[in-house]
Amino acid sequence: MKLVDGINITELFMRSGTPNRAGVVVPWVAKMSFPKYKPSRLATLPQTLDPAEYDISLESRRAQVERLAIRARLKREYLLQYNDPNRRGLVVNPALVRWAYARANIYPNCRATPKNSLLGAVVGFGPLILWYYILKTDRILTVAWRDTVPHQLFGEPSF
Amino acid sequence: MAVARAGVLGIRWLQRASRNVVPLGARTAFHLNKDMLPGPYPRTPEERAAAAKKYNMRVEDYEPYPDDGMGYGDYPKLPDRSQHERDPWYDWDQPDLRLNWGETMHWDIDMYTRNRVDTSPTPISWDDMCKQLFSFVAFMVFMFWVGHKYPVYQPVCRHHFSYNLGFLSALG
Repeated sequence: MKLVDGINITELFMRSGTPNRAGVVVPWVAKMSFPKYKPSRLATLPQTLDPAEYDISLESRRAQVERLAIRARLKREYLLQYNDPNRRGLVVNPALVRWAYARANIYPNCRATPKNSLLGAVVGFGPLILWYYILKTDRILTVAWRDTVPHQLFGEPSF
Repeated sequence: MAVARAGVLGIRWLQRASRNVVPLGARTAFHLNKDMLPGPYPRTPEERAAAAKKYNMRVEDYEPYPDDGMGYGDYPKLPDRSQHERDPWYDWDQPDLRLNWGETMHWDIDMYTRNRVDTSPTPISWDDMCKQLFSFVAFMVFMFWVGHKYPVYQPVCRHHFSYNLGFLSALG
């Protein structure tokens, strides 16, 4: 489109933009500025923001293949048992058994460390001491207040 | 003589046979033996490899909880992700738990079920949300305190009791 003699306005417009990744020159585009997303314990990083998602190196691919192989083997074992026509009962999940066993048998793996012992002492004796002082202080203050106010206020007759 | 020898051989055979098989009609109490169940913290690389195999994980992925006497043993430390975050469209073996058979369950899976704690990503990050909430609450608390300290009301007299204060005079 030629508006002015000697100058192609379309070309001018196209050349003044910013080149994008594909190498095509595009005009200025509106850009929103998002605040930086910081992951926390209860709000994890979305998959699309995680750089590991875009990792296509050989090692990561190999790791994914190994994990898939393990998953496929377990899936096969499960489906063989699940679809077995001679099966009468439940398909027992050994992972569930191990989880329940681990959760129920914590004591054999426990031992007394300084941190453990401190935590135990704080949780064991702390509330007792705390409530003793709170209730004692409350009782003292109540009695003190009661003695400053005339007892007619409590409905006691003044003889 | 031959009878005695046969008798001895027979006894020996019976002993050998009974060592290898369980008596007819009896089964073991449980099909998982001791080394398929969780054990103590793994110390050597061989123990780690065996534990990884036991829990159906890669050796590189297997990471036990730190050994600080809290009772975890060799149970693997999986990422603290809720079941909410797992793909809803994949064909799980247990769709409600979004779990596969044989897959090691997270130590806290009963907390991370879909009825309970949700660690899915939020539209705004957690600390932004905290800042917005607490700044609003702090501002409101400040304003209420200001209103309490400097109350504003229609003008009133010093007291409203016409003849005497009644029993309140005892308060001085």
